[in-house]
Amino acid sequence: MPDLVTSSNFTMWDLFFTQKRKRLITSILLAAFCAVWVYPLIWMVSGSFKPNSELFQGTGLIPDSPTFSNYGRACAEANMQRYFVNTLFVTIGSVVITTFSSALLGYVLGRRPLPGKIAIFGLMVFTLFIPQGYTIIPIIQLLTMFGLGQSLWGLMIATCGGSIVVFTLLFAGYFTQVPKELEEASRMDGVGPFKTFWYVMLPLARPVVVTVVVLQSLQAWNDFLLPLVVTLANPKMRTLSVGIYSFKGEHYIDWGGMTAASTIAIVPIIILFLILQRFFIDGLAGAVKG
Amino acid sequence: MATVTLTNIKKKFGPVEVVKGVNIDIGKGEFCVFVGPSGCGKSTLLRMIAGLEEVTEGDIKIGGERVNDVDASKRGSAMVFQTYALYPHMSVERNMGFGLLMNGVPKMEVKAKVDRAAKILQIENLLNRKPKQLSGGQRQRVAIGRAIVREPDVFLFDEPLSNLDAELRVTTRLEIAKLHQALSGSTMIYVTHDQVEAMTLADRIVVLRDGLVEQTGTPMDLYENPQNIFVAGFIGSPRMNFINVSDLIDVGGQSLKMIGPDAEQVVTVGVRSDALAPARANQPSFLAKVTVIERLGDADYVYFLTDWGKELVARFAPGVTAEIGATIDLAFVGKVHFFNVNGNALSNVQLDEKN
Repeated sequence: MPDLVTSSNFTMWDLFFTQKRKRLITSILLAAFCAVWVYPLIWMVSGSFKPNSELFQGTGLIPDSPTFSNYGRACAEANMQRYFVNTLFVTIGSVVITTFSSALLGYVLGRRPLPGKIAIFGLMVFTLFIPQGYTIIPIIQLLTMFGLGQSLWGLMIATCGGSIVVFTLLFAGYFTQVPKELEEASRMDGVGPFKTFWYVMLPLARPVVVTVVVLQSLQAWNDFLLPLVVTLANPKMRTLSVGIYSFKGEHYIDWGGMTAASTIAIVPIIILFLILQRFFIDGLAGAVKG
Repeated sequence: MATVTLTNIKKKFGPVEVVKGVNIDIGKGEFCVFVGPSGCGKSTLLRMIAGLEEVTEGDIKIGGERVNDVDASKRGSAMVFQTYALYPHMSVERNMGFGLLMNGVPKMEVKAKVDRAAKILQIENLLNRKPKQLSGGQRQRVAIGRAIVREPDVFLFDEPLSNLDAELRVTTRLEIAKLHQALSGSTMIYVTHDQVEAMTLADRIVVLRDGLVEQTGTPMDLYENPQNIFVAGFIGSPRMNFINVSDLIDVGGQSLKMIGPDAEQVVTVGVRSDALAPARANQPSFLAKVTVIERLGDADYVYFLTDWGKELVARFAPGVTAEIGATIDLAFVGKVHFFNVNGNALSNVQLDEKN
């Protein structure tokens, strides 16, 4: 029998860890990591169905006495529907504005000969290094100057500023790679620059458009500091993230209400991701095929 | 159909002058090929005719009208790009009709024109596909279709076959030649670096080098009577053999004699591969050693190394018995070209056969 073992080229290790088992072990490890990652989210959703008294009792993730009262409170007392509409307004508006302006900016910076292009790029990149906290006062001042300091329109416009530089660079990088013959062909066809942008260039940049839409939605939906400052004097204008924070009173925190409100807040983002996931994969496949 | 006239065209990119004063007249319905090595300015010239590049100096006239400052789309020309430049996200049908649709041509009319062009190019069954679902040859046809749909006065082709594989290049070349006939002789300007394409397609070839026209003429004219060494070497495959006269004199005691008024000026003689053959008795000849034999089936290309270290190529009938390493006595049997010290062709010279 010992002869058999020595005559084989495979060690016990090789024989035990077959391809199939290796895959299985990898899956288990990844699942464990995933569980750690997702746990807070699950806790939040489960907490939203527990009464406040049970929340920190350590009763596990399945509520002992499930209740919708948290949701009721979130809607009735905390005005979550209104905040939801506010957030939706700010998000959709800022996504539309950001996508168009960064695409146009990126198109010009990426493809057109423009004097001082390097300087413009430099200035734009420089702004990336300034933390939001430093710019919040001048932003509020600007909004007030234009009479938008106390309106959702002002908040929407201010929200656009957050990542527009990154998006512009993304578009510029993408547009520089599009062969110039496409534009020339459309020029020979007698198609003007705006129609060329709209019908030829922008559709080609779909992967970037999707990325920008997702990132800007996330940023606008989850932004806290800016809406907090803008809506400080006017609770009706609060967005969801600020609204959720208001469950934290001076002496008492309504954790149940907060988890319920948070759950309401993340649903649209998850839906958005599920819808756009397909395009992400499309975009990636397109990038590989060239 | 329109004439295209270039008068003293110059183009500078910054301080670099790429096109240095070109004069070309292209007649109605002519198939004119610009040929030259890379960097000779042929594509720039085409792009200036198209209106994609500004003219630094000189006049471009299409159909007798000066178009220097006319927008690319209003010159009545259509261009086929080397990279096809098809819009990747549009179907073939939309690719072809895009320009017309954007310019407000009614949909039904566009459809009719696209269908007609598709029929000419035999791509009717591809109209709903996207470019990435097409092969290289099909894409090139769609690109040509997009040009046909616009019913231009002048077709401009910028190295349209360069991205195709060898076999497809030959068939597509043939199709372009047929297309020229099918479109009842539209004026076509075609840029290529491949002299075979130039020879096979052109009514007239313009050979360019370093931004200047070297010679203009029909393919056979350029082949038979090149005006200088450059054209002689560029047109024809395999390349013409050039031999310094000083090397030929007193080879094996049988010197090559030239007679005629310009005989004294001859510095270089040129012979095409089919004008070299094993010498008969008493023919002026020189010895050369066989180095490589390429058997193509219909002909054998035999490469020689002469005594003085010059490599030559001869085209022999198939089934040559020569072996590598053998020494053969070679003689000139066909047309011999003579060039002076500046590389210009001399016409008043002949070989003295009576030796």
